[in-house]
Amino acid sequence: MPTYIYAITGADHPLRLDGLKGVGDPPSDLRTVRTGDLGAVVSDTPSDLRAKRRDLVAHQSVLERLMAEGAALPMRFGLVGPDDDQVLAALEQERESYTARLGELDGRLEYNLKVSRPEESLLREILSASGDVRRLSEFTRQNPGAQKEKMALGELVSQEIQVRQGTVGNEITSVLTAEAERVSAGEPTKAHFLNVSFLVKRDEAAAFSQAVYEEAERRGDDYEFTLNGPLPPYSFV
Amino acid sequence: MSLVQQSNASNSSGGSGSGNLYDVLELILDRGLVIDAFVRVSIVGIEILKIDVRVVVASVDTYLRFAEACNRLDLESGRKAPTQLTDIVGDTVESGAKGKSKGALTGAVEAFSDSLKSGRDSADDDSEEKEKERRPARKSTASSSRRSTQRREE
Repeated sequence: MPTYIYAITGADHPLRLDGLKGVGDPPSDLRTVRTGDLGAVVSDTPSDLRAKRRDLVAHQSVLERLMAEGAALPMRFGLVGPDDDQVLAALEQERESYTARLGELDGRLEYNLKVSRPEESLLREILSASGDVRRLSEFTRQNPGAQKEKMALGELVSQEIQVRQGTVGNEITSVLTAEAERVSAGEPTKAHFLNVSFLVKRDEAAAFSQAVYEEAERRGDDYEFTLNGPLPPYSFV
Repeated sequence: MSLVQQSNASNSSGGSGSGNLYDVLELILDRGLVIDAFVRVSIVGIEILKIDVRVVVASVDTYLRFAEACNRLDLESGRKAPTQLTDIVGDTVESGAKGKSKGALTGAVEAFSDSLKSGRDSADDDSEEKEKERRPARKSTASSSRRSTQRREE
């Protein structure tokens, strides 16, 4: 039966999984496989695995538990090997690389920051800063049929938005990168112009959160910061 | 200042509260380690998440929407004293934008939440879960094509 893989850990990880269940309905039983140096948390693979909330939560819950008790390499959701033996073979084959990565991530956590800004506040800023935008806006307001000018206005605004959010995004990232060990830029989401993950040492997590708090305060009410963490280091494996 | 910090890692005994699951969905689905020799189960919904939003921001729809939003703001600022603007215009534009932002992306977002839903319907997920699941999906729809893309070209 195909083997679903949650995470790879060092041999010294306690792999305490009591009370947790795996993906699937009914939930699969978690088990561990071990080589001399490494371990992996696995389960049977449900035949109809999809990105359901229940399964995502199961995956994430296993990783959060492992994260709390030692270094673990979180697998991407949905990764499946042919069987337990081939999982063991893969661990053996990549032993050095996995061991090195576990060492790098030991005692470190991921924090994901997303920042959004209401469109209205941004448009207001652009209107007040750009004479071209103001002129085009005034013209199209008085000439509602002026499609060409409307398009020009929209395109100009769109460019301004990208430049401004790019600048602010870089500034925020730069300030917080100084407080973190590594940084990994993510794709902007549909709501957030900035989506970035930081790898932070466990004992520096409070200072990092404080830095995010101060940056959010400095940016003011126009920006909404959403900080998620601590998380398994998905972005740093 | 506005900062929301979410964490459920301290809740390590009973597993994730998953209140913030939606916010970290792309990490769970798109990051994380893969083993090259192994397959990744093809999962409905994942591809939809990865829509190239640049296409949307550089669209006729988006340009027109920005133009109209500017016109409205412009009109308001002509009528009202600047100091009163924030609150008053805030409401107007927000409700306007929600209606307008149903652009190209909205369909995709709905398709994505549909795929979550359809998975759910076949199963025994209880109504509490449904409620939790819908809420973030709707939030995303409301802001769909607007702010998403603006950093893509840096």
